[in-house]
Amino acid sequence: MLKLSTATMHNMGRAKVSRGRSRGPDRGAVRKRGGNRVDRDGDFDMDRNVDRGRGGKKARGYSGRGNLMIASTQGRDQRKMSIDRDRTRNAIQKALSDNTTTSQANFGRPAAKSGTSQAIIRGWKQSKASSNPDGGIQSLVAFLEKKMTPSDSKASANTRTRITKWRVEGDALIVSVRPELMFRLLKINGFSFAGAALTIEEYGQPAVGEASTADTKAKLTTFLGKRYFQQTKLLNLSGLGDDPDLVSMGLFSTTSTKSRFFPALMKMWELGFDSPEKCRNAVDSVSLANNQLDDISDVTTLSQTIPNVKNLDLSNNNFKDLEALSGWRWKFRRLEFLDLTGSPLSADPSFKDTMLKWYPKLRILNNTEVRTTAEIAAQGKAPIPVQPAYFRDDSQIAENFVRAFFVGYDNDRNDLVNGIYDNNSTFSFNVNTSIPRASQQNSIPSWDPYIKKSRNILKINHLPAQMSRSYVGSEKIRELWNTLPRTKHPDMAARPEEWLIECHSIPGLPDPSEQCEVGVGGLLIVVHGKFDEISPSKVDTRSFDRTFVIGPGGGARGVRVISDMLTLRAYGGHDAWDPNSQQPNPPGPRVNHPQAPDGYGAPAPGKTDARVQQEQMILQMSFKTRMTLVYSEMALSGNGWNMEAALRNFEELKVQGKLPQDAFLLVM
Amino acid sequence: MFAPNEDTLTKVSTDAAMEFVQAFYTSLQSNRGSISTFYSPATSTILFNGNVVAGGAAVQDIFVSQMPPTHYEVQSLDCQVINQKYPTATATGVKRAAEKSAKDISILVTVSGYAKFGVPKNVPQRVFSETFVLVPAPTNSLGGVAKGKGGKGWLIQSQNFRLVV
Repeated sequence: MLKLSTATMHNMGRAKVSRGRSRGPDRGAVRKRGGNRVDRDGDFDMDRNVDRGRGGKKARGYSGRGNLMIASTQGRDQRKMSIDRDRTRNAIQKALSDNTTTSQANFGRPAAKSGTSQAIIRGWKQSKASSNPDGGIQSLVAFLEKKMTPSDSKASANTRTRITKWRVEGDALIVSVRPELMFRLLKINGFSFAGAALTIEEYGQPAVGEASTADTKAKLTTFLGKRYFQQTKLLNLSGLGDDPDLVSMGLFSTTSTKSRFFPALMKMWELGFDSPEKCRNAVDSVSLANNQLDDISDVTTLSQTIPNVKNLDLSNNNFKDLEALSGWRWKFRRLEFLDLTGSPLSADPSFKDTMLKWYPKLRILNNTEVRTTAEIAAQGKAPIPVQPAYFRDDSQIAENFVRAFFVGYDNDRNDLVNGIYDNNSTFSFNVNTSIPRASQQNSIPSWDPYIKKSRNILKINHLPAQMSRSYVGSEKIRELWNTLPRTKHPDMAARPEEWLIECHSIPGLPDPSEQCEVGVGGLLIVVHGKFDEISPSKVDTRSFDRTFVIGPGGGARGVRVISDMLTLRAYGGHDAWDPNSQQPNPPGPRVNHPQAPDGYGAPAPGKTDARVQQEQMILQMSFKTRMTLVYSEMALSGNGWNMEAALRNFEELKVQGKLPQDAFLLVM
Repeated sequence: MFAPNEDTLTKVSTDAAMEFVQAFYTSLQSNRGSISTFYSPATSTILFNGNVVAGGAAVQDIFVSQMPPTHYEVQSLDCQVINQKYPTATATGVKRAAEKSAKDISILVTVSGYAKFGVPKNVPQRVFSETFVLVPAPTNSLGGVAKGKGGKGWLIQSQNFRLVV
């Protein structure tokens, strides 16, 4: 098991001294004992093998073409990251400590100054007194005070045992008493109050001020270290309510701490990485099994922090219906395994169809194959074969035009307008704001700089608006372009794959000299690609489609732009027009298992479909139990390849201590 | 000579683009037998994912015999007038300048949206980008729109469809 060594914890203050040492070739996340570092803030430092001081110089995270633009982008991102990290820290501080102005102490800093101890009392909601106007609180407190007072004492009102403070959170009453009286309060545990048995437990730890927040963060960090398995990329958050460390922190004593716990945990997780990308890719599998979840509201942040999860175990929860999961409807676009066994919603007749619809890559649902790898591979194929760009140029006119155009648009729009636009040229653009779901991005950069000039005539119905959003003549076009954000398109020669440019001739264009009644010929050019949008604070990447109609012109370049129409949309990559990405049999998804050889769990010549399915079950068994592949297979075959039976069997044997040490994977 | 003003040109072109897009994608989805009526008899280049298609009849043939059920969702649409004095075809040649009206224009139309190919509801949405050049339908000898083309005012002269995501 991975654990943060206490030595590391104590070295928190000078943790940075050791940073950079033991820089191994593996850039993985959590290391073994001693390898984990906790920085001054108590943050889990899982992936920071490069000195911070050099931040931004090395384009880490990119395949590193030495491209200047990317390097500078990275620098910006990192600066932004560090700001974000500070913000996040503050947010955690907020999430974990109670900044409300009430005099009541709360989670994170119980009994801040007064030196009192707290206890949590449950069960009184079932009492007859709970129908009192105040919910029975006054009489409950009086009851507790009375029972705490030694029966033989001749207590006057002054010496009588007092509960100094109390508050209600959900079905719990949290009371503060002087520490020396706590044992008396705890003796009342099990007493009957107005017909209901009370349970009384000590609540939280006596702690002082800020130290307790840092302490909580350190504890969460330690907890994450215990629950993350780097080799298998598994984050096991199952049975949170049964975790002795978390329970001792009082995290689940009340509904409010419970709902704040998971977002705080996710923030701690993010802080362990120096880029969102690394954070996202550190985990393939997440288990939230055995958490008595009625819906996802408490854990919904998982989809933001770890959106790329492939295997999600939600078994043995209490999801009643699909609505309970609906917040994750558009999330987890790479989900392949989903386990919802043990929740009522699995019995819903539309359960399977809905899950298939929600998760396009879902392969195994509740331990049953619901899509084959071949079916998933077929999804990517277009029914119309994807061909390379159709480009029928005329004396390299279009080629020269396009090459010059985007360089000019990025660097000197005035010059570009002067060169190839005239008084009859028309430019307009529109934003397709509906695309976000198709993109894998987490969030789409705001369309604010564009939207007021976007001429999507599905939305812009009024003639005056339609007219004002069409820019005719070089002066109007220049004026507009100078208000649009600066752009940087990729270099066509260096990154041809990021462009798709098609061109063909077109007849019937207006003749500027008006001599030819049948019009003149020209070229229609369609360009698909991406650009970086450069604003003072950040760089956003967007995709675009741009259509030009160009005809013969009198200017120095010999061409004029007749029409220029631009569509902007969320960044969507360039795979769609790559003829090679549409191969009929792409390799199956790679499996991240320490023992699984390449191709394990995937179809191969000579391997039967039944065996493929068995291998997938073995993998899943192994992910769930941490048993080796051999033992996982034994467990499954010994139980007729029934996953649930095998898992039950495993739990029994584990409890009885009948599983040998070598049944388990060493790395976990 | 007739010189239509900006208002008229904008109205005619946006109305034409809206009507065309509405009718055309509906036909691709549920009335494939009518696809060829959207094309000019003298089309220029027609491209689907870089594949050249010969003309309206060939497009219809492909959709009728090869394409799975397809669902389109047009999300953004824009258009511009390319030629305000388009040489509309007539029974005998092209319209002369004196015969032209605000309807003798060619229109560039760009569309962006989702396409879904296949029956199961769970097939992924793809993003497509499509560019059309629309030209006036040829007039008959009486100056009206030639019959037999479903009475459409504008027809596809060229088309370029691409899946882009």
